[in-house]
Amino acid sequence: MSRKKVDRFVVLREKEAALHLSPGLFPAGTAEEWTAENRTLIFSTHPLNNGCALAVAGKKTREHLAEDNRVFEQDEKVYVCRMETVPDERLPFIYDSHAVFVSLQKMMRTIEESEDTDAAGHANGTTTSGERTAADITSLLQTSALYREAMLRQVRVLQEAPRETEFILSEMDVFQAMHAVWHLVEIIYLATNMPGGLSAPIVPHFMGWLNFNFPAPLAEDGQRIFADGPSADDLAANPDVWPYLKKLALRGHVTTMANMLDRIAPAKSSVSASVARWAREVARIARAMPLGSDEETAGSFNARWRLWNGELQSTATAIRSLLASPSPSPSPSTKEEAEAEATAATSAGAGSDDPALESLYSIVEAMRGDAAAISAQSETWQDMMGATLLYSEPTAQADRLPTLAAEVADEFQTHEFAILDRTLVALLRHELPEFLVYSNQIDPWLSAHMSDMMEHINILGVCRRVFAVEPREHYVIELGEVYMSHEDLWRVGLEYLGMSGGCAGAGAAVMEEYAMRIPLESDRKAAQVLRTCAAHGLQRAADRIHRQLGRQKWQQGRLGAAITHFAQARDHRSVGLVCDQLWAAYLESGGSGDLAYGPTIDGVLAATGVRHDRLDFLSRYRDFHACYGAGDPVAAGRILLAIITAGIAPPHAVRDLLVDAIPLLEGDALVFSADDTFELLRRAEEEKRDGTNGNSSSSEMSVFSVACARNLARAFVAA
Amino acid sequence: MTLQVQPVARRITAVAWLPPHAGAAYNDARLSFVTGSGGKHRELALWTTGNPDFADNTTDEDQTAAAATLAARVAHDGDVRGIAAVSSQTIVTASSFGTVSVYQTDDGAAAAERARLELRESMTAHRFGDSAPAAATDVAVQPGAAASDAEVASCGEDGAIAYARVARLDALQRFEVDSTAVTGVCWPTSTQTAACTRAGQVKVFDRRAPADVAAVLIASQTAAAAPSSSSALAFECIAAHPSQSFRLATGTNAGSVLLWDTRNMRAPVIEAFNVHRASVWDVCFDPVGSSSSFVSCSDDASLAVTQWSADPASSSPAAADEDGSASSSPARPVRHISSFFNVLSVNCLDVCAFTRASVIVAGSDSGNLLIDKVPASDHHFRLF
Repeated sequence: MSRKKVDRFVVLREKEAALHLSPGLFPAGTAEEWTAENRTLIFSTHPLNNGCALAVAGKKTREHLAEDNRVFEQDEKVYVCRMETVPDERLPFIYDSHAVFVSLQKMMRTIEESEDTDAAGHANGTTTSGERTAADITSLLQTSALYREAMLRQVRVLQEAPRETEFILSEMDVFQAMHAVWHLVEIIYLATNMPGGLSAPIVPHFMGWLNFNFPAPLAEDGQRIFADGPSADDLAANPDVWPYLKKLALRGHVTTMANMLDRIAPAKSSVSASVARWAREVARIARAMPLGSDEETAGSFNARWRLWNGELQSTATAIRSLLASPSPSPSPSTKEEAEAEATAATSAGAGSDDPALESLYSIVEAMRGDAAAISAQSETWQDMMGATLLYSEPTAQADRLPTLAAEVADEFQTHEFAILDRTLVALLRHELPEFLVYSNQIDPWLSAHMSDMMEHINILGVCRRVFAVEPREHYVIELGEVYMSHEDLWRVGLEYLGMSGGCAGAGAAVMEEYAMRIPLESDRKAAQVLRTCAAHGLQRAADRIHRQLGRQKWQQGRLGAAITHFAQARDHRSVGLVCDQLWAAYLESGGSGDLAYGPTIDGVLAATGVRHDRLDFLSRYRDFHACYGAGDPVAAGRILLAIITAGIAPPHAVRDLLVDAIPLLEGDALVFSADDTFELLRRAEEEKRDGTNGNSSSSEMSVFSVACARNLARAFVAA
Repeated sequence: MTLQVQPVARRITAVAWLPPHAGAAYNDARLSFVTGSGGKHRELALWTTGNPDFADNTTDEDQTAAAATLAARVAHDGDVRGIAAVSSQTIVTASSFGTVSVYQTDDGAAAAERARLELRESMTAHRFGDSAPAAATDVAVQPGAAASDAEVASCGEDGAIAYARVARLDALQRFEVDSTAVTGVCWPTSTQTAACTRAGQVKVFDRRAPADVAAVLIASQTAAAAPSSSSALAFECIAAHPSQSFRLATGTNAGSVLLWDTRNMRAPVIEAFNVHRASVWDVCFDPVGSSSSFVSCSDDASLAVTQWSADPASSSPAAADEDGSASSSPARPVRHISSFFNVLSVNCLDVCAFTRASVIVAGSDSGNLLIDKVPASDHHFRLF
């Protein structure tokens, strides 16, 4: 692929939209005045979609402008502007095609896995990994049909739209174009490309494609002709009838054409005898056009075709001699001449001046496969391509298309081609990189799904050599990013990003960035984002989302939820801080034994099984109160001692714990043994040495010391 | 296939059937339901669909036509997080902005062009400590009360349950009952509410003492395995059995549905059904027949109808045949319902209680309305 083609990797100018805020933030003509007032525009772009917020603001902050602190009304307004890239009308199609895309990825994964196991099973197997079997192609064909069905459904929906706005019309064009492209890929690479079997001729598929996507002549044309007058004479006199017949012939609607010719033939006034005679003859021959079938061998079909072609040949010769006999005129060989002759149609006559006979002759010439005649009659390259295939190469296979397409395109002004024509011609010419770039210009949906499909058909390799990026990954990420700009499509967008594949993992990186920025309006949405992250292994994003949620919940005073989220993000520091807040709240409440945090940590412990020292401390401290309240000082003492010795209490809480031990030390029952008491004293000493909060009642600590001494005495006596 | 999928281009987040008009119960050829959507398009929509009990009377055209027809739609303040039908004319919604709203409806049964949905009253019910509005998560209407006098309970991410009379929404009472979020609320009886929390607890309240938790139920570790060691077990939804007031069902974030018996406080979970692969967003006991099955929907884009009753008399013979070869296996018959064209989360469901046939309506993030109509089979009426 030449370098030149890579350069086409640019956005068409016409696809860019110029956006104006109307009315502007600076009213017309006031820009200079506003600038003098030290005012300017500030803006910030949206992290997820292609929107931005903008406002009028001072160039310097008000603090720097002590003397001039005028406040402008406009300064208090923020404008949020965004370009809508995903119209709501497209949502059903997006959801449908996303479903197909997901199932296609699943299907290909299972196929590849089974191939891998096959390859492992018999290393010298006949099927090499990566080559698609007939069954694979059949399933791809079915998937492709589903995509097309979705496009056609969307076209129907648009047609039923109540108002025919410019937008609806352009959407319809886009979908019809996408369908035409997709359909052509399907017939070239799937329908006629069954491995193992003989390659099927492309012609019937191509004509089916042509007449479905670019219907001509339109049914309305025929109806109009008949509406003008259904009798043979009316028909023959109708100036539109011969162009209509020519079009029918070009598109291979030979039976319709034959019927029409038969209806014209009996005309008395406007048709000469020779025209009537030859019209009947052409109709007969047209009806006898050989049609290939799967059962027939190529040789037998060719024989029949040659016979039929010979008949046309002799008919053509006969008509030409008729035309030539009174005043010899050359057969129309160029488009201009043919048109000149067609428009020169005057009243009915005989011989060389008979335009009807000339039209009939050009129809026969075209059906004979005469390149000049076909070229002369074709209005579009599609017409010419179809007629050439149908009448001169009826057994052509897909591999004939590139050269033929090149020949046909040469006949036309390719620089006047619309984007759809360019795309189709590039596809027919097998210039796949160019084709992908053009597809992208039709719609990002098309390039993304097309590059994905091409990857599965194994024809994307040629693009890889040309593109600086991995084509499938590039386009799928692009589509995913487009979807991310729509509020409802964040999940679809994330899944496209996640399934963009590629060894570089660009999709995963982009996905991670987006996932962390999706606004989490509700717990349910947060859970869904987290699940999507988990499904694609985005641990870092999941942690950040949990941390963010934890902070949010903490701010909102939902401490239980905050602890849960911090714990899941393994943010032990924050868990500790929230627990300290619970502890502080308890102390503030006066330590009334009414532990308000009980239900909070219950919920957290039940749900998460979070292991955290602070949480453990709070829970055990609650147990201590429960035992004490229940009149079981021994158990309470054991718990308290365990809390103190395990070192799970925050340093600032140790003193409170020691004070809590006083009633147990002084109680009727002997709770602490001598060793336990020593342990308590040791902790008290440490506490005193650290001297963290010396001002806190040292009298309490002396009471504690005395209580310890008494308890020690009792413990020795008991021992 | 009994499932009909109708694309509506809205992320449907809540759905509820409307009860039939007085006097028309079990005779109405048309059924009405209300859906709520969220995200970009926040609105309530009123739909009608054919009653499958009268399917024989309808022509084939009705079968091929759209599953449901839109009768009316109205913008809603915030994502619709829950809908509860009080009567055929009154519905209550809960929104992501923490409001509880009462809407008047008329499905146009009297005159087709009269179908309408109108906001009557709206009230902020859920706030965080910093007075920012908190998203509501569910709303449920008191059973057995007259429509004019019924009370609704709503719950939200502020960990509170709010009670209000439909007729007097402004006299709303709010009680903070949990430190995480309350994700679902239901009324087992007209004097009792049960709520499930994101911390994996079910709390039961006596309406007459709404501030005090009457009972806290926790699933034992064996009954409900947490989704993974790192994440917590949370309940996403709760449903009360229509006739057995001690029986509750909760959906978990691990994809299972837990069945509870509140009479046994020591081991309240009687069985865990692992029917889904992701969070269960909504669960509902089948109100038809003997209610021996429940319907659940999930983030894995599927619906499931699970036969839970251990009572052999009420299990259908068809299910027995399917399990015939492995009759000893304790696996319950589960009917999974999913559609190729619906790959995103199914957010909500409701089972119609007013038909002999089983009619499930559900809504999904894929912008689809899913309607599953199973004609009244013999097994519902086995008892008669």
